[in-house]
Amino acid sequence: MTAFKRLDTGGRIDRSRTLTFTYDGQRLFGQVGDTLASALLANGKMVVGRSFKYHRPRGFLSAGIEEANGLFTIGEGNRAEPNIPGTMVPLVDGLVARSQNAWPSPAFDLMAVNSLAAPLFGAGFYYKTFMGPFKKSWMFYEPFIRKAAGMGKADAAKDGARHDVEYGFCDVLVVGSGPAGLAAALAAGRAGAKVILAEQDAEPGGSLLSESGDTLERWRAATLAELQALANVTLLVRATAQGIYDGNQVVVSQHLANGQLLHVVRARTIILATGALERPLVFSNNDRPGVMLASALRSYLNRFALAPAARAVIATNNDSAYATAFALAEAGVAVTIAEERAVPAGDLLAQAAALGIAIFPNAGIADTLGGNTLKAVRLKGRHSVTIECDVLAMSGGWNPAVHLTSHGGIRPRYDEAIAAFVPGGFADGQFGAGAMLGHFGLLAAVRDGEGAARSALTRCGISKMPAAVEPPAVRDDRAYGIAVAADPFAVTVPGKAFVDFQHDVTAKDIKVAHQEGYHSVEHLKRYTTLGMATDQGKTSNVNALAMMAALRGLTPAEAGTTTFRPPFSPLTVGALAGRSVGRHFRPTRRSPLHDWNAKNGCTFIEAGPWMRAWYYDWAGATPQEAYVKEMELVRKGVGLADVSTLGKIDVQGPDAAEFLNRVYVNGFAKLPVGKARYGVMLNDDGLVLDDGTTSRISDTQFYMTTTTAQAGEVMSWLEYLLQCHWTDLKVHVSSLTDEWGGMAVSGPDSRKALQLAFPDAEVSTEALPYMGVKDISFGGTTVRILRLSFSGELAYEVHCPANFVTALWEHILKAAAPLGIKPYGLEALASLRIEKGHVAGLELDHRNSLDDLGLGKMAAKEKPYIGKELRLRENMQAPERWSLVGLELMEPEKKLRGGSILFAATDEIKGHGRGYITSVTWSTELGKFIALGLYNGGLRHEGEEITAAFPLKNEQVKLKIVSPHFIDKEGARLHA
Amino acid sequence: MPEVMLAAQSPLESVSAFTARDISIREEAGFTLTQVAGFGKAFERPLAAAVGKLPAKVGALQVNEAFTVFRTGPQQFWCVGDVPPQGLPGECLVTPLTSSRCRIRVEGALARRLLARAAAIDFDARSFKPGHFAMTGIHHTPVLIHCVGDNAFHIYAMRTFALAVWEWLVDAGEGMVA
Amino acid sequence: MRIPCPHCGERDVSEFRYGGDASRQRPAHGTGDLKAWHDYTFTFDNPKGPHTEHWQHVLGCRQWFSLNRNTATNEITGVVE
Repeated sequence: MTAFKRLDTGGRIDRSRTLTFTYDGQRLFGQVGDTLASALLANGKMVVGRSFKYHRPRGFLSAGIEEANGLFTIGEGNRAEPNIPGTMVPLVDGLVARSQNAWPSPAFDLMAVNSLAAPLFGAGFYYKTFMGPFKKSWMFYEPFIRKAAGMGKADAAKDGARHDVEYGFCDVLVVGSGPAGLAAALAAGRAGAKVILAEQDAEPGGSLLSESGDTLERWRAATLAELQALANVTLLVRATAQGIYDGNQVVVSQHLANGQLLHVVRARTIILATGALERPLVFSNNDRPGVMLASALRSYLNRFALAPAARAVIATNNDSAYATAFALAEAGVAVTIAEERAVPAGDLLAQAAALGIAIFPNAGIADTLGGNTLKAVRLKGRHSVTIECDVLAMSGGWNPAVHLTSHGGIRPRYDEAIAAFVPGGFADGQFGAGAMLGHFGLLAAVRDGEGAARSALTRCGISKMPAAVEPPAVRDDRAYGIAVAADPFAVTVPGKAFVDFQHDVTAKDIKVAHQEGYHSVEHLKRYTTLGMATDQGKTSNVNALAMMAALRGLTPAEAGTTTFRPPFSPLTVGALAGRSVGRHFRPTRRSPLHDWNAKNGCTFIEAGPWMRAWYYDWAGATPQEAYVKEMELVRKGVGLADVSTLGKIDVQGPDAAEFLNRVYVNGFAKLPVGKARYGVMLNDDGLVLDDGTTSRISDTQFYMTTTTAQAGEVMSWLEYLLQCHWTDLKVHVSSLTDEWGGMAVSGPDSRKALQLAFPDAEVSTEALPYMGVKDISFGGTTVRILRLSFSGELAYEVHCPANFVTALWEHILKAAAPLGIKPYGLEALASLRIEKGHVAGLELDHRNSLDDLGLGKMAAKEKPYIGKELRLRENMQAPERWSLVGLELMEPEKKLRGGSILFAATDEIKGHGRGYITSVTWSTELGKFIALGLYNGGLRHEGEEITAAFPLKNEQVKLKIVSPHFIDKEGARLHA
Repeated sequence: MPEVMLAAQSPLESVSAFTARDISIREEAGFTLTQVAGFGKAFERPLAAAVGKLPAKVGALQVNEAFTVFRTGPQQFWCVGDVPPQGLPGECLVTPLTSSRCRIRVEGALARRLLARAAAIDFDARSFKPGHFAMTGIHHTPVLIHCVGDNAFHIYAMRTFALAVWEWLVDAGEGMVA
Repeated sequence: MRIPCPHCGERDVSEFRYGGDASRQRPAHGTGDLKAWHDYTFTFDNPKGPHTEHWQHVLGCRQWFSLNRNTATNEITGVVE
């Protein structure tokens, strides 16, 4: 015999369409319109889970999002998602559901032995028990506790679902599609406002779905039909408003068939029609399967056509549960009401009498009886009778769903009349309607919704007011009456009386917390873990707060409440990440030569967002092998390297020269047309911002290059100076990083290579001296040849618009083939510059001064430049500053590693040392490992032997401090 | 030595158009983009002589005979045409940007929905109409989105990010038609 | 959070770059006044409440502007002309 039977008529299920699903491997059947919860109840599955700490059998507590007990893992393999309330899962054909936290099954759970050890698991149990005897005890015990007190398990496999993010914009976002939300959406929609109506259930209607009778259903259907006909109204179902953020931005998570869609909605106004959540009553063994909220029982009856097999008891302290009692009686269920109040309202008594319902006033529940499922209840008070029943429905009153109103920091306010928290106010552009305001009535909800819509329209500046929303033709709302128990601890037998069902927190735990001094609601929460489960205390918080208030002799208003924060209901990380996973985690930046490189034996390396050519397979199969060969190519012949990633900026206008003269430490005012100059710029604080080579193209136009890493920073900085401060300067800056690409032609044979490639261009040292720049017209485009060198060899850079870079690159490779020209990659590029002693991103770490980098002499003495004042601060000149040194490895059999910590020979190897290695390479010229580093006192220590420590590998090597210019100190090669 | 002509190469040469029932994504190359800036109002008259009427405020565009002119800054215009504008005097600061942008056409009944999954802009047909454009971000990179038809858009994406933006859009498209 | 760009209209904060306190006057270029530069560069108030600050519409028109924002509530009361 099952506790629930499916009725032959009524409800919102489609009896003609049967669905098959599996539950813990068992094939079961349900109907279209069922949720997983209703289908399980229809199949007699009363025990659907085990509780968190004690492994007590649990059944569905609710029929909605507040569900604390009935959590499942839905789906299989890489589509499995744990901890989903069965009440929120619409049944579909082939659905696979698994129970959680029970082995081998919820009905027969071996872990229930925890119940026998129950006294151990009181408030603060984890903290008290597992903290000793050793310092690391918690770390030792923690995995075992997690296993015993487990929720569902997340899979380690890559998520097979497709999640995405969609940006939405509307005049009015309505949250909730109960009577208030429907009325609000209709009124706003009629006025032509752009409306989004978000409903967390699979079907719109909210509380209307759980009502009986045609009148309300006709109103719901007509309202929906009108809404769906309005092009300016969007209805989202299975869509939960999870949080409200600055600027009325609302995150709504929606379940779709193949994943979740996160709507990021910018709403000009928000109407919160979120309804209310029913509170359980707290009595012994109130968690026995078969005990549920009165509103849930009404949903199962009216929406899902599930009635208790024969008998139901209703326990209540308020009027709302009578509707459940009456509906049950009308469905032929024998109903008894255990009424906590002494005198319920006369009209309710009369109606109950007419339906043959027995009422016991002044009679709460003392205890429930049965094994895994409910068999009977014992009333407390004078009528200490035992009543057999299939289901016990309880109602401790209603909590308005105020969560979203407090995401912006507004605390809820306690309303004595309804014994619950109501919104403490609304942020600008936000409005409430219906039960979430504590207005418990259908007509009130419709009136509220329409009123809120009018306020929202006015706030949006929409002057057209809509036609009045016709309410459903029902009798006037009756006043809502509630009387909460004077002593919330009036539990008469020593069984467990649960407050937080999901985290197994009992009335006694709250007493213990109080005894131990955890009085504030925030402490109570953390000490007992109350309200910290996935349901975030939707059914437990207010009961717990009232109990703590009573213990402290305060009213709930005085005791206050904890803070609600997003998300309103559990949200997967996958939904938040959307498509920003894997290769879409961040955008990849590619040089114009990327495709060529990919086809021509290049191995790439990530450098910031860029995919850069690391080395080429002509030179070797490993980077260690290849870069040395590529370096030799450049030192002895000619190589070609992609330098397109350099930042490039067009600086134009009559004041361009003056602007650069202010920005760079060295002079640019007198740079001749056709010449390039290496420049360094500082931040206001006098530390180095970036370096690069800037060429003068005409009197009023410069071509600036920046490092790859700082290109964006420098661009914004130049714009900031021009737009915020030096508005009198007539200069425009534009990024050319994407417009121009470039390649370095490097090595003693580079001039010959250019002569072969551009036979009509004059590139002799007279026509194009070191740091000379010329534009030539070639192949249908402009080619810019700059005689610069990063490697220290005779070298050029050849730039052109990015569309033509690949063709130009191929042309040079072909034309200079007789010279043995080949491509070289980033590893060789970086190694060549280390040999030359050029600083790069690894040295320019925003903490060093010009002098630290050995570039102090570059700075102009007379002219002002950004950062000059603070660069000349006394402590910026201190001799012990960490500054640039060259380093040579003294122990040839050992390896040198970047990031090693530097110590003087006599130092103890401990702590942060006197500096560190920034860049390291094998030097083909010197035949040894060399490095650049920053060292306390810098080149004052030239010639000294020091130690480099690499603690991660427990290595120490001896080094010598040398000049950072390892090759060609006089620059003869450059000027060749 | 024979005259060498350098062939232009798109950053999207390794991919082919994405076409599904209600959405297509393809490259629409073959345009020139020239940025023209200046100071005050003086440069606007000669610019107008070269490219036609200029849009009055930032965020507005003007479709002229040979050029579509976007006002991209208080004193800055983007001129898109088959060939670059000719005969601009010195007070016009000219920056050719043809290579810097890749033009992607997104079209179809789902185009607006797809864009709503790419940029935090209101693509509602009643507000973002043909002839409107917005400078915004897709996949963390700057783009200019131009509505060229009821459900057709040009996305001007940064060249070096073009493939990343393309893959991001196609991935969104695949998710919508899956 | 939404930021009103004076050129492009209200946009998502992800299109912008924050540029710090805009209420103080940058010392004149080349003033040589160490104290003025020190104070300008290193000493900041950290007000809870109204704050005038620089923003750049970096994924849009790339224009810098300043606006008044309440640092406690993120309410933006207007762009500074």
